[in-house]
Amino acid sequence: MDLSAQLALTVLMGVFLAAVAMALSRLEDWRTYTPLTSGGGVAGGESGYITREKPLGLTRWLTTVDHKDIGILYGVFAVISFAWGGLAVLLIRTELMTPAMDVLEGLGGEAFYNGLMTSHGITMLFLFGTPVIASLSNYFIPLLIGADDMAFPRINAIAFWLLPPAALLIWAGFFLDPMTGGAIESAQTSWTMYTPLSIMQTNPGVDLFLLGLHLSGVSATLGAINFLVTIFSERNEEVNWANLDIFSWTILTQSALILFAFPLLGSAIVMLLLDRNFATTFFTVQGGSPILWQHLFWFFGHPEVYILVLPPMGVISLIIPKFSGRKLFGFKFVVYSTLAIGVLSFGVWAHHMFTTGIDPRIRLSFMAVSLAIAIPSAVKTFNWITTMWNGDIRLTAPMLFSVGFVSNFIIGGVTGVFLSSIPVDQLLHDTYYVVGHFHYIVMGAIAFAGFAAMYYWYPIVSGRMYQKTLARWHFWTWMIGSNITFFAMLLLGYDGMPRRYATYGDQGAPFSVLIQNLHIIASVGAFIMAIGTIIWLYNFVVSWYEGPAAGPDPWDLREYGMESREFEWHADRLETAITDGGSDDQSDD
Amino acid sequence: MDAQPGLDDQYRRSSSWPLFVALGLVISELGVLFGVIPISVGGLVLFIGAIAAAVSEAGYTDRPWRLLAGLGGLLVGVGVLIAVTQASALAPEEVVGVFAKGFAQPPNGVVVRGISIIVAGIAGIVLALVGPQLATTHR
Ligand code: HEM
Ligand SMILES: [Cu+2]
Repeated sequence: MDLSAQLALTVLMGVFLAAVAMALSRLEDWRTYTPLTSGGGVAGGESGYITREKPLGLTRWLTTVDHKDIGILYGVFAVISFAWGGLAVLLIRTELMTPAMDVLEGLGGEAFYNGLMTSHGITMLFLFGTPVIASLSNYFIPLLIGADDMAFPRINAIAFWLLPPAALLIWAGFFLDPMTGGAIESAQTSWTMYTPLSIMQTNPGVDLFLLGLHLSGVSATLGAINFLVTIFSERNEEVNWANLDIFSWTILTQSALILFAFPLLGSAIVMLLLDRNFATTFFTVQGGSPILWQHLFWFFGHPEVYILVLPPMGVISLIIPKFSGRKLFGFKFVVYSTLAIGVLSFGVWAHHMFTTGIDPRIRLSFMAVSLAIAIPSAVKTFNWITTMWNGDIRLTAPMLFSVGFVSNFIIGGVTGVFLSSIPVDQLLHDTYYVVGHFHYIVMGAIAFAGFAAMYYWYPIVSGRMYQKTLARWHFWTWMIGSNITFFAMLLLGYDGMPRRYATYGDQGAPFSVLIQNLHIIASVGAFIMAIGTIIWLYNFVVSWYEGPAAGPDPWDLREYGMESREFEWHADRLETAITDGGSDDQSDD
Repeated sequence: MDAQPGLDDQYRRSSSWPLFVALGLVISELGVLFGVIPISVGGLVLFIGAIAAAVSEAGYTDRPWRLLAGLGGLLVGVGVLIAVTQASALAPEEVVGVFAKGFAQPPNGVVVRGISIIVAGIAGIVLALVGPQLATTHR
């Protein structure tokens, strides 16, 4: 870089830091501008200084360390990411309706397709999946365990604020491509970033992408440490290990998994960056070998899928009893199976590498552990079904989504067991069968659970009720759409359609009328789900402003003897709001 | 900032610092990876400054300055370590001479990054020294 550019950057950086310093001194000197006695006796003061809990407007959201606000921020962020990942996949599915490259031709053809596919995968897993879970856990774990807030509120905020820049970096290639005339492109490494491909792509968009991923990992790790400490040490005296709720148990296990898995991903990414930029040879054929990357990646990657699925399982275990009028069947065993999955999930990673030519004896042991992990998963499934058995079932939107979760999880789980059998995997590896398998789980189960939780807790967060008919439309479009799409993918896999191809009928991807029809069917399902998502968004936004007041017990939990701590907290809050004539906590959310 | 009431004292559930800790980390990672000295220095100073402020706001230390100096020292150490990996031997003149490689034509990228981290550390230490004076005259 030449001197004048360096100078310009130095000046720019100086101006930026000066702006930061000014903004900070404004914020920190706030008190000198606002007389302490003003504020008209707003409730919530504990000491002389504190007249309110939070400043107003945008400043509130930029500076908040309140777990509820941070939960909302995570939620909004997750929805934006879901939109990005969703739009990417709609373009992908449109392209795949015909064998040739046509729809995306003008936008960059195969390279653009690969960029979309990479972005879709990473966005959905790291920028939607993890944050939507963090949104639920931030808002509700402290309420469920009777804590004032998280153990480290500031670290909580730091973890959130790392995510928006991480997302911008991960997506950066798409914005910078037109701006730099194609010098920087979107990353096309696929979410697994397999070497040597990811080293050979010299495009700086990949470096930005890797940095973003690294930052999102730092964020997840900070969050996990916070949840571990919070659940261990901030519980109310009444909450002990015996009566800790199931959602907190799954978040606890998930956080432990994050703590062991994400730092490893971070280190592997740094090694990859070094290979790309500093000519190290960790993952090159002559050096450490590309297989090393696969080991490191999947040692993280398989636990990651359980990081994503355990809290949704907790949500389902929490919701199903509420609308079945029965306690969770075999609560203890649901907890034990959570812990068992947590431990086992670190011993199965090589089932992603059965076709790489690793030692057959190693493969065998990984096959055995992979089959074994189906047992605790099945324990949970049977417990959910038994909880509903003979229950007093109420098919509210959260319950519908929970039942949908169980159904989709069964198909996803059974196909997973098939794949963990070495001979089956050798036929189906890298086909659409694998794509069908994990989408049954990530979309059919994890996203379903996320939306079940959003419907279930919407009355607490917004104080209002959503429109129930629209919620039912959302459920049925999703249930039908996901099964159309992902079942078609399983069949595509049996028919030999390889994954990650932008076109078929050439370059090793077979063409037949059946294959094209299955692709069209899969795309139709995707569009049905897109319609459902729009219905959901409309419903939540409109109900936020205009929905009927939800009242203290929106699900009649008391009538069914199903009281729970977070709804009791909600009822308390409504009551104090009435007697106090409204605290500022009420007026703004 | 220190021992003076700030945002945190007035609003129990607000803090100015987390956003800037996050931004600082992002900017410094970008700067160090791409080897752009002004960006890594600015990012790292923002990062350690905001950490020190947040830690003292949370009450783990009374005042941020000692911690800031400590973090600055840590950066200097890390930067030196990185630069010294490029020395061909551990002889004193080699170790001192390695910094010249950062300014050679073409520069050694690893040394450049080491230097950028050292400069950031020194800037942090300087800030820790003048900070207390500034804070008192300012009010
Ligand atoms: C019953 C437990 C499960 C078993 C036995 C299982 C087994 C497998 C196997 C053997 C593969 C490798 C297929 C191949 O690439 O050839 C695979 C892929 C995958 N599974 Fe599962 N799975 C299970 C549950 C899950 C869960 C709960 C999730 C998500 C939360 C998940 C997500 C994935 C993903 C994302 C992939 C594809 C990775 C890729 O290559 O991109 N699986 N699974
Ligand atoms: Cu796996």
